[in-house]
Amino acid sequence: MDTLGYLGQGFGVALTPYNLVTALSGTLIGTVVGLLPGLGPINGVALLIPIAFALGLPPESALILLAAVYLGCEYGGRISSILLNIPGEASTVMTALDGYPMARQGMAGVALSLSAWSSFIGAFIATCGMVMFAPLLAKWAIAFGPAEYFVLMVFAIVCLGGMAGDRPLKTFVAALIGLFLSTIGIDANSGVYRFTGDNIHLADGIQFVVLVLGLFSVSEILLLLEKTHRGQEAVKATGRMMFNFKEAASVFTVNIRCGLMGFIMGVLPGAGATLASAVTYMTEKRIAGASGKFGQGDMRGLAAPETAIGATACGALVPMLTLGVPGSGTTAVMIGALSLYNITPGPLLFQQQPDIVWGLIASLFVANIMLVILNIPMIRIFTRILAVPNWALVPVIAIITGIGVYAVHATTFDLFLMVGIGIFGYILRKLDFPLSPILLGFILGGLMEQNLRRALSISNGSMDILWSSPITLGVWVVTAFMLVLPLIRIWRKRSVQRRALADV
Amino acid sequence: MVLQRLFAFVLLLACIGLALMAWPYQAPFSYEPVGPRAFPLLMLGLMGISLLYMVFRPTPIKHSEDEPPLDRETLIKITACTALLLIFAGCFEPLGFVLSSILIGIPMARLYGGRWVPSIVITTLMSILLYVLFDKVMDVPLPLGLLDVLEN
Repeated sequence: MDTLGYLGQGFGVALTPYNLVTALSGTLIGTVVGLLPGLGPINGVALLIPIAFALGLPPESALILLAAVYLGCEYGGRISSILLNIPGEASTVMTALDGYPMARQGMAGVALSLSAWSSFIGAFIATCGMVMFAPLLAKWAIAFGPAEYFVLMVFAIVCLGGMAGDRPLKTFVAALIGLFLSTIGIDANSGVYRFTGDNIHLADGIQFVVLVLGLFSVSEILLLLEKTHRGQEAVKATGRMMFNFKEAASVFTVNIRCGLMGFIMGVLPGAGATLASAVTYMTEKRIAGASGKFGQGDMRGLAAPETAIGATACGALVPMLTLGVPGSGTTAVMIGALSLYNITPGPLLFQQQPDIVWGLIASLFVANIMLVILNIPMIRIFTRILAVPNWALVPVIAIITGIGVYAVHATTFDLFLMVGIGIFGYILRKLDFPLSPILLGFILGGLMEQNLRRALSISNGSMDILWSSPITLGVWVVTAFMLVLPLIRIWRKRSVQRRALADV
Repeated sequence: MVLQRLFAFVLLLACIGLALMAWPYQAPFSYEPVGPRAFPLLMLGLMGISLLYMVFRPTPIKHSEDEPPLDRETLIKITACTALLLIFAGCFEPLGFVLSSILIGIPMARLYGGRWVPSIVITTLMSILLYVLFDKVMDVPLPLGLLDVLEN
């Protein structure tokens, strides 16, 4: 019952006119950012961090703004994949599979509103799940000591590799790069300058915003350069804009199923929206069997990944808020934002600053409703934004990225660093390394090192503390399973191939 | 594949270099059993092992999108774009935000296939607009540089 009281208090925070306007502008900005090629939720949230700070927003409003931008970006990404068949990011690939054929059949408006609706249900289910489970998890997590935290973070990193599917080693290396980068700068415990090369600007470490914008914006700008000759007409969104009751009812069970699955996968670190959308799409395809027209504009094929994406976006906030351990690239960025405000997410946040936590949860409800309502009148304007050519867009993106970086510390050193990181990110991308593990590693790195050192200080240097409590042991077992998972997958794939060869 | 091996090898060398750099890191007065050296070395070690594996057995690169292969023309473009970004970083404070963004915005728009006149018009307008938006409306201080004279 406590929870409901807190939730009511949260709505009190979220529904103040000031925060409503913040959420509305966040969803609008987010949608536009998500629409544009080359900008996704990670860039969108990262760009707004210094701006929210400069605007002097109070922490709960800043967090609401960032969460609204996050949801808006997910929503905007969907518009370009349905109308252009160009998925803005990996998670919306599945949306394009059935969304684009629907748009070609003259159902663009229906596809868009139905996907917004599905995403809303997904987010709604996940938010309900969050309301139920987050306080429980937070209560449980208070018992965590440094050793438990360290093991949990090892689990999060290993999970990334285990879930990544076809390239576990590259994911692992990327995470290690992030972990290493976090050690640059002055060591808080001993005052030793690490890897700074006597450069005064590095003493503070690499700024989070610089890393994010370099890795994601600059490398994307360079990638877009390869595609200048490619232009594609957007399908016109004409005719009926709104889905009808029958259509909504036909996908309702799909919504519920995928929402639950998406929430669980969102909570697990490393799984994320990409995996969730792929898994739910495949599951629904199998359930539909021969009756489905998946790939040719089946509504269930559109609803399944969208519900899952909406649910994971909210589910990913659970480990971030309760444990302070981010599960995805975007939530890693949000932790970076919180640390600017000197707020450390974790179990104590629920006790010390309930306004922030519950205000955020309540504003997720509000932002989701706003997105569904926005969809109907605004879609024509959004499709017009899609027509903006790259040559007009990219310089502006580059300049805004520069502003975002400069706004953090007002040094040009950061700008140079951003370009350097961007080139590195571009090379990594060309070599098929995933980039978001670098971010996760960077955020987790500092926490991991601190907790490891604290744990070993408690035990006076004995490593036993890392596997002495039941919690740590349990997490180690799951971690070992996650390590073995990709090996099992490879082995199974090989045996299937061998069988196929034997049949021939 | 060759590129990947080369990259893994270079990164491996960097790891070794950084590990050598980290070796002397020691706290002058230590109150804790784990010093500032252990964690970075652990990370570098794990990375080194993974990279070593990658040098010998690189994983095939799967391109998710139908991206065109890198030809000479694209490489030149990418170098040019990087150079422009570096110029932007270098001119940001001396020239000021507006001038430096116009300076790099126009050639960049050209790189992405814009025509001269629209590129000039849009970049100039956007630079001024962004300056007003961020510096005046949102309180993000941006350098005026050479345009400082206009301020008073």
